[in-house]
Amino acid sequence: MPSKEQIALERQKLNQIIRRFFSDRGFVEVETPIVVQSPGMEPNLCPFETFVIEPNGTQYKAGLITSPEYSMKKLLGLGMQKIFTLTKVFRNEEELGGSHNPEFTMLEWYFQGADYQMCMDETQALVEVCAQEFGASLPIFDRKRVRDLFLEYTDVDLNKANSQMLRDACQRLSIHVVSTDTESDLFYRLFLARVEPQFSSGSIFVYDYPSYQAALSKLTADGVYGQRFELYVNGLELCNGFTELTDAKEQKKRFEEEAQERIQSQKTIFPIDETLLRLLPSVQQPSYGNALGVDRLHMVITGRASIKDVLLFPASTLFTNKI
Amino acid sequence: MSSPNDIKKGIVINYEGGLWVVVDFQRVSPGKGSSFVRTRMKNLQTGKMVEFNFKSAESITFEDVQYLKMQYLFNDGNFYTFMDNTSYDQVSIDKESIGDDVKYLKDGLEVTVAMHDGAALTIQVPKKIAYTIIYTEPAVKGDTASGNVTKEAELDNGLKVRVPIFINQGESVVINTESGEYVERVSK
Repeated sequence: MPSKEQIALERQKLNQIIRRFFSDRGFVEVETPIVVQSPGMEPNLCPFETFVIEPNGTQYKAGLITSPEYSMKKLLGLGMQKIFTLTKVFRNEEELGGSHNPEFTMLEWYFQGADYQMCMDETQALVEVCAQEFGASLPIFDRKRVRDLFLEYTDVDLNKANSQMLRDACQRLSIHVVSTDTESDLFYRLFLARVEPQFSSGSIFVYDYPSYQAALSKLTADGVYGQRFELYVNGLELCNGFTELTDAKEQKKRFEEEAQERIQSQKTIFPIDETLLRLLPSVQQPSYGNALGVDRLHMVITGRASIKDVLLFPASTLFTNKI
Repeated sequence: MSSPNDIKKGIVINYEGGLWVVVDFQRVSPGKGSSFVRTRMKNLQTGKMVEFNFKSAESITFEDVQYLKMQYLFNDGNFYTFMDNTSYDQVSIDKESIGDDVKYLKDGLEVTVAMHDGAALTIQVPKKIAYTIIYTEPAVKGDTASGNVTKEAELDNGLKVRVPIFINQGESVVINTESGEYVERVSK
């Protein structure tokens, strides 16, 4: 186990490498708010909830950001071309330990006029520079479409697969399913059982996710996939990047769908960020954005298996009195 | 019916007529869509180990499990033996079923044994355990200045941990078994 001082020195060096990497490439570092009115609508995420209170007692419902994404996109809409931020983000109801911590450091960067293929190039360059400066050797980078991975490991062609075909494939591969599984659930069951385990050693960009896993990405020309990618290094998921969706109408539709999913799973609904929707059409096409977990990058380049070995105060040691 | 979100180590799941004890679990969330609980579990009849992914929203059935306080006695490399201090009954559990917690065992340690139908399934170790340090280098003047605020120490059960430099050989320290980290010195 490394000493606190060693962890602190490594993190200082890592932050310096990241800042130099982006300023050398003409990116501007921006600071974004952590306490906001719309902290994120992803159906899975549980933001920490709080209130902003004025001295006269006026109250505003608020949450801590799960990602700086909305603020970053507003800055794009206001005309900034290349921006990055290093910020704390917060996600409740996550594990305390392993590769999770309820607050963690996120690196997000956006580039107007470039797409996710260029973003993969840039991400690879960044991770390689960090590894090199830490004297770590990472496996050679590979890139694979989700469709090709499914053909190889599940024998399912996502170009044609519907819910029933995904369900049949689960049956054939003895994967547990339930009757309420959606197309997205069935896809993820196959992914978890057969595809993701293949990433346990290697550096692999996985890209073009089915449209029901598209999140905030622009669709491919055929409309079947979202221009989204993730990078796994030795089994650890490091980042999630997109060619960003800039269609405000489509974005509003997805926000509303996500709000419905949150209602169904009895999660808090936060107001839709109308300023974001207003600024989104001013963002150039294409534009990419990527969110990368800095603590996990720290783990990868130092060869540590647990997030507690790259944090000075892991949450598992801070929260000990159960209610 | 119960929720996969309540899955814990040592819990027994009744799945399609078979009984499975949970050895390890982890929650996973895709970028979009439902979250899942990745569960490593062992079949109580066949001993077969499988990995199962339960969607958080589905319902599963837990079997009644009895939790008994027992004392750790010894192991033969594969099986670990524990004794109930009131009935003097002894049970043995294989290393694989105990999982990662095996490294925290030491002579006489009181653990919680999960029992089902008279069979011992797995154990839960206390969250904090005190150990005696059998070996560590003495602190050298100037260590703090050079940044070496912790050093390695070997505990009385062979486990190696990092402790602050002011801790000496022969002293007792408390280790957190969830994080694997030093907590405090045991005052005499």
